[in-house]
Amino acid sequence: MDSVEDFFESSLSLEETQKKKGYEEGYNHGLVAGKEEGRQVGLKHGFEVGEELGFYRGCVDVWKSAICVDPTRFSTRVQKGIGQMEELIEKYPVMDPENETVQEIMEALRLKFRVIRAALSVKLEYDGYPKPKVIEF
Amino acid sequence: MENSLAEEIYSESFQLSKLQLGHSSTANTPDNLILSGSDEADFHTDDRSWYDSDEESDRELQRVQNQFHTMGYRDGLLAGKDASSQEGFNIGFKQSVVASYNWGLVRGITSAVACLPNGLRESLIKTQDKRTKFQELHESVQSLSTTDALKLFYEDIMTKEALQQSGTSEGSVNVADSLVQSSDSNHLGNYSGELQSLLESSEIKVKLALEK
Repeated sequence: MDSVEDFFESSLSLEETQKKKGYEEGYNHGLVAGKEEGRQVGLKHGFEVGEELGFYRGCVDVWKSAICVDPTRFSTRVQKGIGQMEELIEKYPVMDPENETVQEIMEALRLKFRVIRAALSVKLEYDGYPKPKVIEF
Repeated sequence: MENSLAEEIYSESFQLSKLQLGHSSTANTPDNLILSGSDEADFHTDDRSWYDSDEESDRELQRVQNQFHTMGYRDGLLAGKDASSQEGFNIGFKQSVVASYNWGLVRGITSAVACLPNGLRESLIKTQDKRTKFQELHESVQSLSTTDALKLFYEDIMTKEALQQSGTSEGSVNVADSLVQSSDSNHLGNYSGELQSLLESSEIKVKLALEK
């Protein structure tokens, strides 16, 4: 029976057409929605990264200024550590969130910060994100 | 007025009822363009063995087509999101990272100053008045968590965006209103400004600007 075949054929291509139409419509909506969703996540993440980096930079600047005023208060080891923190901050690709080194540099910064904080025996705490973890040696 | 509203509300169902009037009229309604030309004619003459009436077959077809449309839509939506979310992420990241870096500077500097031994702090910040102001700034900054600060930042960019929009599309009245509010629309910047003025009277050397 020809008509049966016709029916399935036409309905099959009809299915494909409808799927394709739906796909295109969805894709265009997805482009807009995905960009906005991504932007929201990026805003939050960028804020956290910026705050933490700025925090370390601020600490380093104060310590460096203090070293200028009175170098005897800081051991050479601590002074070296502060210099290394500064290098790490400057190396951080702030405007390139997709850069693969970001995580590694941030980890190194956190570690240096804790070592210096311990050496200075100050209760300096970065309260932002993420919560400072207890470091086990 | 009421008539046109009613038309608007009911036009859809109106069209639907037209759709169901039967074969001859459906050919003229734009909503029923899924089948076109000779296909439609073939279909409608041949399908009587499958369905009791044209009306029922139309509805069934519509249902099936909607189903496939929805399937395609879902796949497309996901694919579209996949394709654009990284771009959006980068845009948002760059939008917030500089402002929050400057905000983090305030946090870091005031925290580190607060933790200096007394003698050193006095060498860096000469007057008691300024030292008190540093301490006050430190305390007000400490009272804000990162989440609080993020909220302030969101408010700031929302205000800015609203300001930009009203600036382009609305009249001068709104612009004047927004200008009055704009001093409040930069919460985090206010902290930075306060820090900057305090730093000027201290020995603390700071790289304030974020390069790159």
